[in-house]
Amino acid sequence: MKALLWKDTKANIEKIIQNAPCYYGIDYIPGKNVSSGYITTDKSNFEYEVKISSIEEFKKSDKVLLKKKTGLKAIIKIENVRKIDKIPLSDFKLNENLNEIKTFAEGERFVVDYKEKDEASLSNEQKEVMDDAESRGYHIPLSLADKLIKYKKSLPEDKYEKLLKRIDSELKKREIDPYEAVGIIAAQSIGEPGTQMTMRTFHFAGVVEMNVTLGLPRLIEIVDARRIPSTPSMTIYLNDEYKHNEEKVRGLIKNLENTAIIDVADIITDVGEMDLTIKLDKLKSNERLVTLTDILSALEKIKGIIYNQMDDERILVKLQQESFKKLYQTQEQLKSTPIKGVNKISRAIARLDPKEGAWVIYTQGSNLKDVLNMEGVDATRTYTNDIIEVENVLGVEAARNAIYREAENTLSEQGLNVDKRHLMLVSDMMTFSGAVRAVGRQGISGRKSSVLARAAFEITSKHLLKAGLLGEIDPLAGVAENIIVGQPVTLGTGAIDLVYKGNKK
Amino acid sequence: MNFNNVSKRIEKIKFALLSPDEIRKMSQVRVITPDTYDDDGYPIERGLMDLHMGVIEPGLKCATCGGKVDECPGHFGHIELAMPVVHIGFIKEIKTMLDSACKSCGRIKLTDDEINTYRKTVNNMDFKTDDPEIIDLTLKKITEIAAQRNICPHCNAESPKVILDKPTTFREGGIKITPKEIRERLERIPDDDLLFFGLNKETARPEWMVLAVLPVPPIDVRPSITLETGERSEDDLTHKLVDIIRISQRLRESRDNGSPQLIIEDLWDLLQYHTTTYFDNQTAGIPPARHRSGRALKTLVQRLKGKEGRFRANLSGKRVNFSSRSVISPEPFLSMNEVGIPEVAARELTVPVLVNSFNIDKIKEWIKRGATPRTSDGKYLAGVNYLIRPDGRRIKVTDQNAEINSGRVDIGWTIERQMTEGDTVLFNRQPSLHRMSMMAHTVRVLPGLTFRFNLADCTPYNADFDGDEMNLHVIQGEESRAEARIIMKVQEQILSPRFGGPIIGAIHDHITSLFLLTHKNPLYTEDETLHMISYINIDKMPEPVIMNNKKYYHGRDIFSLILPEGLNIKFKSHLCAGSNGKCEYEDTIEDSYVVINDGKLIHGTIDDEAVGPFSGIIVDKIFRKFGPEVAAKFVDNVTRLAVGFLSYRGFSTGIKDYDIPKDAISRIEEISNETLDKINKLVEAFRSGHLQQLPGRSMDDTLEVEILGETGSVRDESGKIASSYLGLNDPSVIMARSGARAKMLNIAEVAGMVGQQSVRGGRLNRGYANRTLSHFRENDLGAYARGFIKSSYRSGLNPTEYFFHSIGGREGLVDIAVRTSRSGYMQRRLINAFEDLKVDPERRVQDTIGSIVQFKYGEDGIDPTRSDEGETVDVDYVVYDEFGDEK
Repeated sequence: MKALLWKDTKANIEKIIQNAPCYYGIDYIPGKNVSSGYITTDKSNFEYEVKISSIEEFKKSDKVLLKKKTGLKAIIKIENVRKIDKIPLSDFKLNENLNEIKTFAEGERFVVDYKEKDEASLSNEQKEVMDDAESRGYHIPLSLADKLIKYKKSLPEDKYEKLLKRIDSELKKREIDPYEAVGIIAAQSIGEPGTQMTMRTFHFAGVVEMNVTLGLPRLIEIVDARRIPSTPSMTIYLNDEYKHNEEKVRGLIKNLENTAIIDVADIITDVGEMDLTIKLDKLKSNERLVTLTDILSALEKIKGIIYNQMDDERILVKLQQESFKKLYQTQEQLKSTPIKGVNKISRAIARLDPKEGAWVIYTQGSNLKDVLNMEGVDATRTYTNDIIEVENVLGVEAARNAIYREAENTLSEQGLNVDKRHLMLVSDMMTFSGAVRAVGRQGISGRKSSVLARAAFEITSKHLLKAGLLGEIDPLAGVAENIIVGQPVTLGTGAIDLVYKGNKK
Repeated sequence: MNFNNVSKRIEKIKFALLSPDEIRKMSQVRVITPDTYDDDGYPIERGLMDLHMGVIEPGLKCATCGGKVDECPGHFGHIELAMPVVHIGFIKEIKTMLDSACKSCGRIKLTDDEINTYRKTVNNMDFKTDDPEIIDLTLKKITEIAAQRNICPHCNAESPKVILDKPTTFREGGIKITPKEIRERLERIPDDDLLFFGLNKETARPEWMVLAVLPVPPIDVRPSITLETGERSEDDLTHKLVDIIRISQRLRESRDNGSPQLIIEDLWDLLQYHTTTYFDNQTAGIPPARHRSGRALKTLVQRLKGKEGRFRANLSGKRVNFSSRSVISPEPFLSMNEVGIPEVAARELTVPVLVNSFNIDKIKEWIKRGATPRTSDGKYLAGVNYLIRPDGRRIKVTDQNAEINSGRVDIGWTIERQMTEGDTVLFNRQPSLHRMSMMAHTVRVLPGLTFRFNLADCTPYNADFDGDEMNLHVIQGEESRAEARIIMKVQEQILSPRFGGPIIGAIHDHITSLFLLTHKNPLYTEDETLHMISYINIDKMPEPVIMNNKKYYHGRDIFSLILPEGLNIKFKSHLCAGSNGKCEYEDTIEDSYVVINDGKLIHGTIDDEAVGPFSGIIVDKIFRKFGPEVAAKFVDNVTRLAVGFLSYRGFSTGIKDYDIPKDAISRIEEISNETLDKINKLVEAFRSGHLQQLPGRSMDDTLEVEILGETGSVRDESGKIASSYLGLNDPSVIMARSGARAKMLNIAEVAGMVGQQSVRGGRLNRGYANRTLSHFRENDLGAYARGFIKSSYRSGLNPTEYFFHSIGGREGLVDIAVRTSRSGYMQRRLINAFEDLKVDPERRVQDTIGSIVQFKYGEDGIDPTRSDEGETVDVDYVVYDEFGDEK
């Protein structure tokens, strides 16, 4: 049984849907025994599933719908077409969608030669070690393969076999117990070291000039999934062309830093003459590599003013319509008029990173979308500490990794050792619904299914009243609600019913 | 047949609104009198304390069920309100309904087409599992469309805009809508339209949100108390109900005898006020109802809400019996699995034992011993405090009735036995931040009045003995006892789930002791060795070294006695720590690299890295290879051996540890003067504007950063000078280097220089105008004027320095206070959000509604507790353990 996958135009797909069942001419010959297929318009999404009942060689006929006009090779009979609805990750519930997904993935793999991500990134050596272990009946996780490569070479055969056996038994011993309350363990493991963290908000993260929030306030910020972190900042890696070229890096920084007129010049208002004078500050403008011409071009965009360059450091601005109110407004507008740079990035500093052996740019303020579009930026590694921004630009999976990475950095910077599995669970729990949710009443806790659990957490009366209106049913599946009614919780040993059946006499 | 052992489970709890009919149906009495008791103290009939609603006084019987005080659960009554009033909790819902439903026909103001489309979306929503926020938003959108429409598409009637005059008044075109009118309008809304307003038609009708009948809670819910003076004091709720009934009555009278509309309306508003505060006395916009004393009343919402509310204080956490609390103190001769309990506590706390044919003889013997039995040599013996007959009656055992009771006890009775050695108890110290804050211990009854335990258990409890108190709970059931022994026992908790390493290990003096025992592998005479070994539970001697016809023993060999056979480890000791992989003592490989082969310490120094908490490599490896029992035994022996060794060798620290030669002091003086010069130059440069500005910093900031750098380096420098004169024969240095207590930095502060004090990461700068203290010049930016301390703790601080030091110290204290509350709240939120997650048998992580959070726990399905500090398996160690060095 094989599945077929092809890309088609929206119009063609619609034609098929309208006419199904129908014959359809395609421009290649599919393999034998194909019984189903998928059609897509953009290659990355599987949008329609079709049932194929027969495949014939192509011949002209009126009954056949055509994919395109020339170069057709085969006719397939399409029995029916089904639109595949995307299933959000949050809908992956036991016994409901899980089976469906399994079969779908198989269909996908037959034709496109689908590879698991891990598998695809395996080196030959790793693959060899894992396959070898598999053939001896042991399953070795990828994380151990690297180390085993070394020992496979250096150890004699009998000892290597013994090693594999030992590792296999260790793995079995170490598996997590079913019904373990992993959530509580993770919460405790992150909360407990919180008492040992510093409150000192600011710290110099390697770069003397840059302030970054660290310690407990940062951890709370991550867990809260704040819209805007208190110190957004970016680490911009550069591509090969730029990263060793100081000149180019300086130029890039110039284009990064958001500079307004007020940053490089003074604005003098003359009420008598009803005009404004922009006076360039030599010191400041040199530092920011801004010239008078830059200001002039920035002024172009402002409506309702007439401007003239007076000398090499002054510009006279006059109003088209003279009024004091307008004068004041224009002054304020001029102050904040951006001359150059990326919005929201107030400062950028380049460092020769010893680990990297190349220039890396650190910024105060964050604007991932615009920075990724800039020339010279290595878009694959450039990073921001603003989790919500990562979610908006790169998607929820990236946000999941960002939460993990930020939490991990915050904890390890404080010298606290917390297992990565706990942090993973936190970031997965915060993102598995498809959007970043905060830990707290706005997010995860406010959306629990149990009325009692919500009432016990915060805003008690609101939840109880609402439950009455909706006629909510508390299924007593969680921990808090079972404690409230006074019966064993559903985790750990409480998840199992054990009855002793005495000997019958 | 006894059904006590069949465990029942509440399957679900359904919430709904009470309808007036239902309130009347469940009511046992209609309350009409606003009074409670008559002059004789007997409840007034049809009053708020009517006997139909339950009894709180002994001797009386409930008029409804005939039960006595403890038997009657209490019954509801009801009040018929003269005029309806709105329920304060549903104001928002009432507003949307008045807005979106037609005034005259009651339909939602949507066209039939709209209704059909929206009905589909609403029917597709799952109120149980969908995100409540999204549901709210969708419903709001629908009702808003209806609210925008002025003319009803169904009956063409016009509805003017309704304005909510907070908290409870509704106006339409400036005219007040009475609750009666609201109720009539809500009644007109058909069942089928209710879903659009977020109401479930099976459990709620909108008109029920306007109260015509008020349930009166049972007396058990609002008991009155009798003060010592004999005066009765009523509960806050009763007070409020009195108000409601009184006003309701007056309103009825006024209405019936045709009083002016104005008076009726005033009374109606008053009734609304009282019912509102009866539900929630903290409603925004109205003054809270108060007692005569001025204290605000605690009404229904206040009873439930917040930390002291019913949910958090009485339902999620409860007070318990069979518990005890006392000061704790250390006892190294107890095993880490044990806890020492004072006799008085042991006599008071009991364990229930069911009498059966196997134990009846023994139990009769116990009872016979009376309430405070002892052995002939005065040692503690467990007695029996109570006998519980199968019907639940309790009999107190006294020395007088012991003999008789011993004869009366029979199979099926339960006795409450006093605690005895070997009982399992739970031991806890607050704050309970992780699961190791509550562990199961085995009881030892000891003289004295404090709880005692092994010092190795200090770390998981985060306890010290400066007056800390801890709680102890005696387990009452067999299942719980089994679970506590298998899961919660201290030895099962050696490895922390936080990082997959041991959290239990030797601390302080124990580490110092083992360091001295093994560092440079000293020799001990036979007498000394015997003394040490007498402390541990091992009856063999190490291999002796014969010198001058005398037997000597190596320290490392003595330590090897407590290592289990078959243990192989190799690691760097704490001596090497902090030097970036390179060992400062690289030449003396003997001391810095610990090598254990088949349970023999070949070379290396045992210190914090080997047996301490958080690092404890030896403890870790023993636990993994030999299991909890052996690991516990090892830790026990470590504490005992350490005490044994120190009791022979002695260890003391004092001010003389920090004596450094004169020339060292003058060198420190020298470099501190150099720094002062540098700082002065920086300040000068700053003043004249020649200071090189740091990019992205103001001039002021630049100066501060530069000076902070200077003061930091001079402290490090002086520390280096000082510690170069202090070697490993200096007790303080031994403690720091072995990881027992303090860091080298602290020693540098004592012997060398205390250094710059800081507040919020910068130098001190507040106090008087532009100066820190009045005897500095204004705007003095010099080192001394901004909190630099050039003295050492040993030489003493001068008054200004002392003052600055206190400022820095205060910041630390404030920091701790702020931090504990902030991190406490974060942890509460974390726990609340994650408490329901569990691993299923396929190692997936699931929540309560079956959503999958992770397809494989932690991406590898490995328990972090059993991982090698986070790694799935430490292959290198496995190879070393299996094949040793030679491969």
